[in-house]
Amino acid sequence: MLKVKNVSFSLNGKKILQNIDFSLSAGDFLGIVGPNGAGKTTLLRLISGVIYPDEGKILIEGKDTRSFNYRRLALKVAMVPQNTFISFPFTVFDIVLMGRTPYLGRFERERKEDLEKVKEYMDLTGIWHLRNRKITEISGGELQRALIAQALAQDTPILLLDEPTSHLDINHELEIISIISRLNKEKDKAVVLVSHDLNLAARYCRRLILLKEGKIFSQGKVEEVLTARNIRSVYHLNALVKKHPVTGFIYTIPVSIQNGKRSEKRGRIHLIGGGGSASKIMKELIDRGYEVSIGVVNVFDADFETAQIFEVPCVVEAPFSPITHESYQKNMQLINTCQLVILCDVPFGSGNLLNLKAALWALRERGIRVVVHSETSIKKRDYTGGRAEKIFQDLIKEGALLVEKEEEVLSFVKDHFS
Amino acid sequence: MLQRRLIVLGFLVIIALISIGIGLSVGTVSIPLSNILGVLFGKIPYIRKFVRVGVPDKYFMIIFNLRLPRVLLSILVGSGLAAAGACMQGLFRNPMASPYVVGVSSGSSFGAAVAMLIFPGIFSVPVVAFIFGVITTFLVYRISFKRGKIATETLLLAGIAVGFFFSAITSLLMYTTASGVHRLVFWIMGGFWNSSWARLLTVIPFVGFGIPAIYCFARDLNIMQLGEESAIHLGVEVEQVKKILLIFTSLITASCVSVSGVIGFVGLIIPHITRLLIGTNHRMLIPISTLMGGIFLLWCDTLARTIIAPVELPVGIITACFGAPFFIYLLTKSKRESYA
Repeated sequence: MLKVKNVSFSLNGKKILQNIDFSLSAGDFLGIVGPNGAGKTTLLRLISGVIYPDEGKILIEGKDTRSFNYRRLALKVAMVPQNTFISFPFTVFDIVLMGRTPYLGRFERERKEDLEKVKEYMDLTGIWHLRNRKITEISGGELQRALIAQALAQDTPILLLDEPTSHLDINHELEIISIISRLNKEKDKAVVLVSHDLNLAARYCRRLILLKEGKIFSQGKVEEVLTARNIRSVYHLNALVKKHPVTGFIYTIPVSIQNGKRSEKRGRIHLIGGGGSASKIMKELIDRGYEVSIGVVNVFDADFETAQIFEVPCVVEAPFSPITHESYQKNMQLINTCQLVILCDVPFGSGNLLNLKAALWALRERGIRVVVHSETSIKKRDYTGGRAEKIFQDLIKEGALLVEKEEEVLSFVKDHFS
Repeated sequence: MLQRRLIVLGFLVIIALISIGIGLSVGTVSIPLSNILGVLFGKIPYIRKFVRVGVPDKYFMIIFNLRLPRVLLSILVGSGLAAAGACMQGLFRNPMASPYVVGVSSGSSFGAAVAMLIFPGIFSVPVVAFIFGVITTFLVYRISFKRGKIATETLLLAGIAVGFFFSAITSLLMYTTASGVHRLVFWIMGGFWNSSWARLLTVIPFVGFGIPAIYCFARDLNIMQLGEESAIHLGVEVEQVKKILLIFTSLITASCVSVSGVIGFVGLIIPHITRLLIGTNHRMLIPISTLMGGIFLLWCDTLARTIIAPVELPVGIITACFGAPFFIYLLTKSKRESYA
């Protein structure tokens, strides 16, 4: 239905898009995501035929967009633009009715069929009650719904949406995108959605194109495109990418900005944690530019996921398994080359007692400084019948620094490395 | 909608007819209405049998040769300027636009000046003024034509720049030649004292064909209010529409200016007032502006020739004196309504 063939476009000598190549068939729901200035809107304008590519071709039903006149193109492609400012007071009904223009001859009046279509789509977008209101007097969200109704009234096989929900409340956003999603499924309408909202795109699009500086960085299924690694390269952002347990959609949460290269000359800090106890400190340390490692954590553990986000060296153990001797050894290898060990506020059971022993080993055998973060007293988080508490007390006795608050850990780290 | 439109239009047509009657009757010599009907219908075959023809010859002369062409010309010019103004405001999406915005008025004035100073004559002045008005528009159009498109902002600015240029040359001509300056100043102020059937007949084709032509693009103008790109998405051939409308508005405007000089205010204010009264839909805006413009200018001209009779005022003074306060009243009244 739509083929974008090796398209490039420049404006005033600056390359906006380069070698864009993809296709869209009936019933597709394609999302175009990427940071500001990546060329998302330009790509939509090329498809809608407002501008033509410098190189390459855009084919709609096999024909170059250049060979269409605007009216015939408007029968194939409808667009909901990003910012529309209307200063002349038309009624909402008149605005939606404009969507029927491509079906009317110059001297033709709107037929009954056109008016029915307008009512149908105004009902669908929930703005029928606004039909006699002036477009200049309604809210931004209502205007956006009116423009979506207008594009739907155009009844085209291809629908382009440029940030269609940027002014909508979350309930209306869900409503509108659900309507579009339904039209996509029921009427096989091909939809291209440009959005800066990765979660929205992930939720409704079946395919994604991730643009970076005018080039396709990645395209394919949502889970192939939205990976922590891709997001880091395109947005310079450390993000958590997960499948939501309730909705089953991929979602991303930005965690922190990546500050270029981590400084290595200050030495590495090794964290001993688990169950999420090390995650917060890990983020803070990385934000401050320290090099960090962690061990031993189980796969799927919260600290394991945090370590994945930041790509820090990590000793892992199989899910829900006690630490094996092998992992213990690996952990000690990491500790051996670090500058400082932080023992996090983690409960101890027989499964992770070796982590505690590793901390003691570091202090006793290697003479490495150990900071013990203990917000909850060891008594309350000891599930080994006193064995953990004993090692813990030994640690303190032999000179590990005991602090209660996270901020104290961080300020100690700062002093230690300055 | 359609019914309401027809009612409003019908109402305005009746007002226009009454205004014509009054315009014909008042003046240095007052003529009773019965005599006016006698003159008008006494000319038409078959119908004249039913009219008592007892009109004195001098009344016949005054009405048929002086007042009737003048009244009709003022209506035509008012209609033409108002319709052209409505079209320009829609085209530029700018309520400050007027028919003169692309430089027609300055071009025509320059043409008129050249004609008056070099080869004066009853017909040479309007013809040369018309030609220069059209040339100016074409020039402005060429300046703003880039890569197959007319940039609307450039068009506006080019119109202002070219306009200033021609005004400067006109001023230079006026400054360097002593004779005829008075006439030129009068011409530029605008008025209908030179009205004749011949002038009326030269304007009729432009206005009579131009306004319906503009009206055919009412829907496109409506959609173009969403912005040119949105209009393209809705299938409007924006560049073509702009070109065609520019041609028609400049022909209408140049023809009006060539016979009556530069009458200000009508083309700017009448579309405004109409929009405040009936909304932005160009299908309403264009026909109603047309009628309102005609009626308004007829009344202004009637006042211009009677208010301090036998001396005549330039009609542009009257249009501004009465139009501006009324417009300000409407603006303050509708302040709460959002209006650009």
